[in-house]
Amino acid sequence: MPIKERRMDGTTAVEETPAVAWLMGVLAWAVPGAGHLWQGRWGRALLLGGAVWVMFIAGILLGGHLFSPGGQEEGASALLRLPPMIANLGSGILYIYCWATDTGFAEGAEQAARATFEYGNTFLLVSGLLNYLAMLDAFDIAAGRKS
Amino acid sequence: MTHFLVMISFAALVAVVFGIVGRDTGRERGLYGLKIFAEFVGIGLALAWLLYFLPL
Repeated sequence: MPIKERRMDGTTAVEETPAVAWLMGVLAWAVPGAGHLWQGRWGRALLLGGAVWVMFIAGILLGGHLFSPGGQEEGASALLRLPPMIANLGSGILYIYCWATDTGFAEGAEQAARATFEYGNTFLLVSGLLNYLAMLDAFDIAAGRKS
Repeated sequence: MTHFLVMISFAALVAVVFGIVGRDTGRERGLYGLKIFAEFVGIGLALAWLLYFLPL
């Protein structure tokens, strides 16, 4: 998708986004840290990817809950699951692995009674959101818009 | 104490990502990350004390 930029002299420059930038974005989303790693940004990959991985694993260990489209709610209330699910989905392969192995999706009173349940939820949600930021960072670097 | 450690861990991890993504140079990143960390912890403690005095 081309990006139009209006210059000071009134002319408009059209900047094409290279296909590799989209690939880096998808890779960065799928495997936290991989987008930067692929571009040789070892430090960023370690710190950004590491933060997302640590936060996600900590969230699971703290007893957090992952959201999925299907649940006990029906009708319009089921839509309330959508925003947290989108946040969780940001973790990429971590979310998909948990979904495939049915880890972290339990919805029971025992789960919610854990003292660290809400902490775990927050860690899981924020790890996904942080990975979206890391994904955009990897995309911008690959597109040449960021150093 | 565990709750405090969890809060510190959360603030540190978020500060790392915000610092790297939000600024361009190494020094700016470090300072911004520290600022984010301090704000998370400071506001968290302030809210904790505020809630402590509320009859909930």
